[in-house]
Amino acid sequence: MLRPIRTLAAASAALLLATACNSASTGGTSEKPGSPGTSARGVTADAIKVGGIVSMTTASGYSKKDTDLGAKARYDRANAEGGVNGRRIDYLGAEDDGQDPARNLAAARKLVQQDKVFAVSPMSSVTFAGADFLNGQKVPTVGWGTLPSFCGPRYIYGFNGCLVPTPGGTLNQTWPEGLATVLGGSSGKSVALIAGDNDAGKFGIRTFTQGFKAAGFTLAYAKASVPATSLPSDWSAYTKEILRSGPGGSAPDVVVSVMQTPYNIGLFTALKRSGYKGVLTDPTDYDPGLLAKDATRQALDGVHVLLQFQPFEADSPAMTRFKADIRKAAGGKDVPLNMHMMTGYMSADLFLSIAAKAGKELTVESFQKAANGFSDTGTLVGDRAEPKGQKESFGCGALVRLKNGRYEVAVPFRCYPAIPFG
Amino acid sequence: MGDLLGFVLSGLVSGALYALLATGLVLSYSASGLFNFAHGATAYLCALAFHELHSGFGRPAVPTALLLVCVVAPALGWGLDRLMFRKLARVGETAQIVATIGLLVALPAAGLWVVELLERAGAPVQPAENQFGLPGIGPSPAVSWQPLDGVGIDSDQLITWLATALVAAGLWVLMRHTRLGLLLRAAVDNRSLTELRGVSADRLSSIAWMLSSGLAGLAGVLATPLLGLSAHDYTLFLFVSATAAVLGRFLSVPLAFAGGLGLGVLQNLVAGYASFAEDITGFRTAVPFLILFGGLVVLARRRRAAGTAAADPPPVDYLAGKGRLRRWGAWVVAGALLATAFYTVTTPFWSGILAQGLAIGLVFMSFTVVTGLGAMVSLAQATFVTGAALVAGLLMSHGWPFVAAAAVGTAAAALLGAVVALPALRLGGRSLALATLALAFLADQVLFQMGWLRNGDTGWEIPRPVLGPLDLGDDRALGVALVVLSGAVVWLLTRLHGSRWGRAVLAVRSAPEAAAASGVSVVRTKLLVFTVSAGLAGFGGVLYASYNTRITATDFTAMTGLVWLAVVVAAGVRRPQFAVVAGLGFAVVPHLLATYVTESAHLPVILFGLAGLALANDPDGYCAALPSRRAARAAAVRGRGDTAPMPEPEPMPMTEPEPVPEPAPGPGPGPGPGPVPVVGPAPVPVVVPVPGQASAPTPTPGSADGPAPGPAPEPVPAGATAVRREPREPVRGPGAEPPALALRGVRAGYGGAAVVHGVDLEVRGGEVLVLLGPNGAGKSTLCRVAAGLLPPSAGHVRVAGLDANGDDTVRRARRGVRLAPEGRGIFAGLSIEENLTLQLPASEDRDAVYARFPALARRRSVAAGSLSGGEQQILALAPLLQRPPTVLVADEPSLGLAPRVVDEVFRLLTELRASGTALLLVEEKAAEVLGVADTVAYLSQGGIAWSGPRSEVDTDRLAEAYLGTGVRR
Repeated sequence: MLRPIRTLAAASAALLLATACNSASTGGTSEKPGSPGTSARGVTADAIKVGGIVSMTTASGYSKKDTDLGAKARYDRANAEGGVNGRRIDYLGAEDDGQDPARNLAAARKLVQQDKVFAVSPMSSVTFAGADFLNGQKVPTVGWGTLPSFCGPRYIYGFNGCLVPTPGGTLNQTWPEGLATVLGGSSGKSVALIAGDNDAGKFGIRTFTQGFKAAGFTLAYAKASVPATSLPSDWSAYTKEILRSGPGGSAPDVVVSVMQTPYNIGLFTALKRSGYKGVLTDPTDYDPGLLAKDATRQALDGVHVLLQFQPFEADSPAMTRFKADIRKAAGGKDVPLNMHMMTGYMSADLFLSIAAKAGKELTVESFQKAANGFSDTGTLVGDRAEPKGQKESFGCGALVRLKNGRYEVAVPFRCYPAIPFG
Repeated sequence: MGDLLGFVLSGLVSGALYALLATGLVLSYSASGLFNFAHGATAYLCALAFHELHSGFGRPAVPTALLLVCVVAPALGWGLDRLMFRKLARVGETAQIVATIGLLVALPAAGLWVVELLERAGAPVQPAENQFGLPGIGPSPAVSWQPLDGVGIDSDQLITWLATALVAAGLWVLMRHTRLGLLLRAAVDNRSLTELRGVSADRLSSIAWMLSSGLAGLAGVLATPLLGLSAHDYTLFLFVSATAAVLGRFLSVPLAFAGGLGLGVLQNLVAGYASFAEDITGFRTAVPFLILFGGLVVLARRRRAAGTAAADPPPVDYLAGKGRLRRWGAWVVAGALLATAFYTVTTPFWSGILAQGLAIGLVFMSFTVVTGLGAMVSLAQATFVTGAALVAGLLMSHGWPFVAAAAVGTAAAALLGAVVALPALRLGGRSLALATLALAFLADQVLFQMGWLRNGDTGWEIPRPVLGPLDLGDDRALGVALVVLSGAVVWLLTRLHGSRWGRAVLAVRSAPEAAAASGVSVVRTKLLVFTVSAGLAGFGGVLYASYNTRITATDFTAMTGLVWLAVVVAAGVRRPQFAVVAGLGFAVVPHLLATYVTESAHLPVILFGLAGLALANDPDGYCAALPSRRAARAAAVRGRGDTAPMPEPEPMPMTEPEPVPEPAPGPGPGPGPGPVPVVGPAPVPVVVPVPGQASAPTPTPGSADGPAPGPAPEPVPAGATAVRREPREPVRGPGAEPPALALRGVRAGYGGAAVVHGVDLEVRGGEVLVLLGPNGAGKSTLCRVAAGLLPPSAGHVRVAGLDANGDDTVRRARRGVRLAPEGRGIFAGLSIEENLTLQLPASEDRDAVYARFPALARRRSVAAGSLSGGEQQILALAPLLQRPPTVLVADEPSLGLAPRVVDEVFRLLTELRASGTALLLVEEKAAEVLGVADTVAYLSQGGIAWSGPRSEVDTDRLAEAYLGTGVRR
């Protein structure tokens, strides 16, 4: 062994030994989040520090950056109303994780270790590598529950529940039941399900197959067959199969796409050009920004879109207030609304509601205690309840239909009973 | 049938885009030997610009598209060529690959940054995110028709077809029917010969890059309605179209074009009929990469006998001869400081970041093995990381302890590595890089989609290990443990480098055949390189995952691996500790930038990408840049004033621990153990042991100070001059015409190894100087100096009395100096007619040639490469007869020709002399060539041994010259 290496090894070993004893008690991941009652991390006498993690810049051209605006709008109102139990919300703005797991974790670490936030809300990304860290550090976190990390960990909450069904859990029936309403009943109606060719697509097909069957539909076609990473330039291979899949080689009554917007545009355009007259539906294309372009407006015309919050077209006091808050946060400009704003807004709202319930003595423990058994009704995402929301979706939703360049509510927002998933 | 037709027709849409991209790839590749990973990024940039100009600024679609495709994109290509690609063409393949990977991320970020800046400046830009259904050139939404039942087309598709067809026709006309196209094809066929003909290959390369970028821009604009504004999608699209470039073997534009079209159709057919593979999740997604991988393995041609390694010469070890303290001191101190810092200075956040950097440094060290030592570019390292971590996580979920799970995970990664190594047995360079990339995508899309392995989006928990009293759950403890581990791995790798096995790898990298001949198994060595590297990546991956405390299948994708490679190579792959630096930098720098420099998310990415640019200047990476520059400067100082020291021992041993004797250390011969051939005391001109010269070490002062051929006192050493003995010299009056070509005191060599030492030669118009000499005497080197291919290290070259020392090849050729290089000076891939047209643009000249050589006329459309050797030589000389050059330097014009043909060749050369050309003929065999000589010079051991008129040549002298005994008169 070379001498310098030996020296290095010896020195490091000594260092390790010398520090092994004191290491476990302080710093690092075992840092204590403040002792109860007096000074919780990020909570002072008059302010609560809150951060966010959002995918803003990405190589895929997909961004959730308006989530930040939504959260800001909600916190601004809270502060305007005097804060939570007398404490102002000090919202640091959202860290950009660029859809990169490493950056997601780094953002979580920065917020907790450097900025010392009390909570992270909103957290909306396609990856949540920071989940274990945040949960381990006991950081209350609220976000869009599309990832499994929102289902189970004690400190992590989905703003409309956990949206990933787990075996033994339940399945949200908003979509099948809503479509049954559209079609005037599900019996005898055939459904074609299509998703991307990857594990997530397969999982989507599996859950929705169960859901639609439970709602009384016939499954004519259920395949995760569309190349998941490269958008097909030609959809005829899929449309032909779908259009012949119904009873007796006819077209199915409903085509359900469990894919992202660019795919839906391609698929729906191709289906319409082939003369398909049935119901088209997907869960992602509720974005008034899509109406700005002729191509998308035409491609999505007539499509029923599932959403799990009150549609912007709804005329409720909560929605009116939401719009006003967003407008104010955007500097008085009329920005086109989208679901990311809702994500941010309602993530902040859930955090604020639980924190308010926790009372004046805000600590992680009191927050958790307040969350346990928290419930309210009639919000923009329906009836909320924790810890139910850490296992299943709140189960509320609506269907809107794009018609003549405008979304209109096809099935109003309401909550449906869930079914067991297995 | 309607189905099939429909699939074919619409497959042609993506096919057309593939064809455009593949054509651009081939053009740029053939221009500068560079596979441009950033080609898709160029397309994206144009799509983005089109979107902003059209939708944001409201410019009309068609003029905007034309502006982008015809002006902006070519300008970008031109700029990149000037700034980057031209320099990169001269560095190793790894640096080339990495620099364009850097661009791949930098270009889109630059575009988005500009949009961001414009937006801040209040320009009416549109956001670049979440844009779907973008308008293209045509109407939006697209108009659609259904000409046949079940076959539908829309206006966007139609426009894509038409534009592509137009481009195909335009390219065909350009390449086949214009002089520019002919020159481009000639440069692809034989770049250096093009330069010898006085055509600047650099300028042609700029044009090729402009064309290439223009094509990428067109693909980008056309693909806007289809792909939207996803840089990621454009890059994936590019990788798929690489298959078509492979089909065209990176050389043939028509083949690549057709390949692209076919690829689109094939992909569509598979999508339509692949129901057989429904049970394999990800199969359809993976189809393009299956095709890419299959295409590479089946079609890639073995490029050279070595065929496998990236042709990077092992770099000179700037630390050679330095002691251990110099080699390791700073690193040991840095390691100790870092370890101490964890418990003293760093905040919890920075402790975590540093630990993360160290963990990824472990992964990065795997590049040191495969790329640094093995000179093979693997883009699949992220696959090994994911594979190992998933396996370890799976086992730990079954209650396995950390160490055992990590060991099995490492083994699994090593196994994967062996699989990935299989194409390496056949492929090399960029083909290997692409094949590993294809495998990485296949793993992402098929292997890691298996539910039992990936466990959905949840992945597997990998809790940090607790080793006795040591709980690595603490970031600081983990950090110190990683410092120790990194030190151990660095040490192991360094040992490995210097071991027998390391030498075997170097041997295989440099010359597989020779390695095989000396009993090194090439197959086993390569498999081992990949296996060790993959195992190391896997081991690092498990630790990295344990830093994250979880692994999901999407944490490290194929694209991650691409970026990693760029990060590591930018730092340097020569020594494993550079990888640790790269890892730390990768983790730390983004936060530093975000904290202290800029809020913009794009700027750091741009800076990172531009780091690749630096590789054009420092191909060894930034870690070694300063010391190796210093070492180079020191070497230059040592070497100044004299011929360069000694040839580097070849292959250059990169053994780190064993100090290698300095190539040319100051005083004293290096008493090293290495097999250094002849280590002479440094400041001595040439001391090559000469057979026959008993008193060999004659360190003659030589004519070191160049052109001073005064009347030398008697013992004329081996640096004598031809001029002096020239009979006509004394009678030349002051008004006489200067020699057409004159070399004075020329010294030249390669990479510090001097070959020619102080040669004087001159030849006049209408004269033939024959240069004779045995193999290795330096004849070809002298020819290269004469033609401007090799600048002399000392001395002067004059053409028609004018100083031509500063010439490059092109300028020398334009002065009228032609080199007919050894072998045949023709473009084998071009037809006879095209070969002639290159030099004789006027058709009457060509007709005259055909009239004189009917054999050429009869086969004018035949590829020159298919002619016999004699015909090829005649084809090379024929245009010269028609337009005689001032000087013709012919390197072994009779080599390999039948005696009858040799006579014919010499007859043509005599004819050329009659028309006033000055001829410098270089031959090894004297017999025939003496018949045409006016003057004869013998070159021996890099110096003129004797010269004089032909009449004075006798056989004894010849024999003496050949035996190297030197003729002293």
